[in-house]
Amino acid sequence: MKDNIEKLSVAALVSQIKHGDAEAMEEIVKRFSNKVYNLAFHLTRDASAAEEIMQEVFLTVISKIHTLTNEAYFATWLYRVTTNAAYGFLRKEKKFSDQTSVEDMNNESTVTYDWSTLPDDVLLSEESRTVLRDSIDTLPETMRTVVIMKDVEGLKNEDIAQALGLTVPAVKSRLHRGRTILREILSDYFRKYSDPSGEFI
Amino acid sequence: MNCKICSKLLQEYLEDNISEDLMNELNNHLKECERCAIFFRTYSLTVTLSRQVETPCCVSPEKIQRLTLLLYERLFSK
Repeated sequence: MKDNIEKLSVAALVSQIKHGDAEAMEEIVKRFSNKVYNLAFHLTRDASAAEEIMQEVFLTVISKIHTLTNEAYFATWLYRVTTNAAYGFLRKEKKFSDQTSVEDMNNESTVTYDWSTLPDDVLLSEESRTVLRDSIDTLPETMRTVVIMKDVEGLKNEDIAQALGLTVPAVKSRLHRGRTILREILSDYFRKYSDPSGEFI
Repeated sequence: MNCKICSKLLQEYLEDNISEDLMNELNNHLKECERCAIFFRTYSLTVTLSRQVETPCCVSPEKIQRLTLLLYERLFSK
């Protein structure tokens, strides 16, 4: 029985939960708890908030599962409820940020510095990861969520659009603007490794 | 192809979403325009590095068990 349930599609599991199958519910929790937790953690940067959000999200979606008419949309619904709960937490904590102005980040010199040739130990250093992580945190909220969902968590554009109630072109546009800002911040950061005589063009 | 179109195609390129013809045009432009080539390389690398941003460790089996139990008690035991 256990083997069978592990092979079931998400839609089939959702349908079984609607009929009161607790084992299907357990399998759904097993499959999605890390995804919900990670997304909540990346959005809030708070481990205990992420745990609370995870609990709240599953209580919400399982108790309202009868309202989901198309079972195939379970995952995107789950992500939507997760992002809403994370926004709710950030609002309460007044951490809802819109600090970085896109206009402020339009620095011409960063376009012409090629830091892609730097060695991996520099690119992947703990310090550069911290810079990138902090930079993602300072992105305007609309871009931050999309960058986290797409580039950190690896979700598809279509799923992100569905979860956030956006069109796919809107997701792509926010993603592109967010990535462009991050690229510029990284360009500024990696500049300290450049050789003024050779690295700039 | 000009720089503006090149920058718009970048995202589609990363998604593996462009035709072979367009890809050839894009590659030709990148060979001729160093500014776009640098933007292209550093933008792609930004995406790659974002994927390496540490993900928090997994939710422990005990926590999953506790959550499952809570859901069971609140929603399934009636």
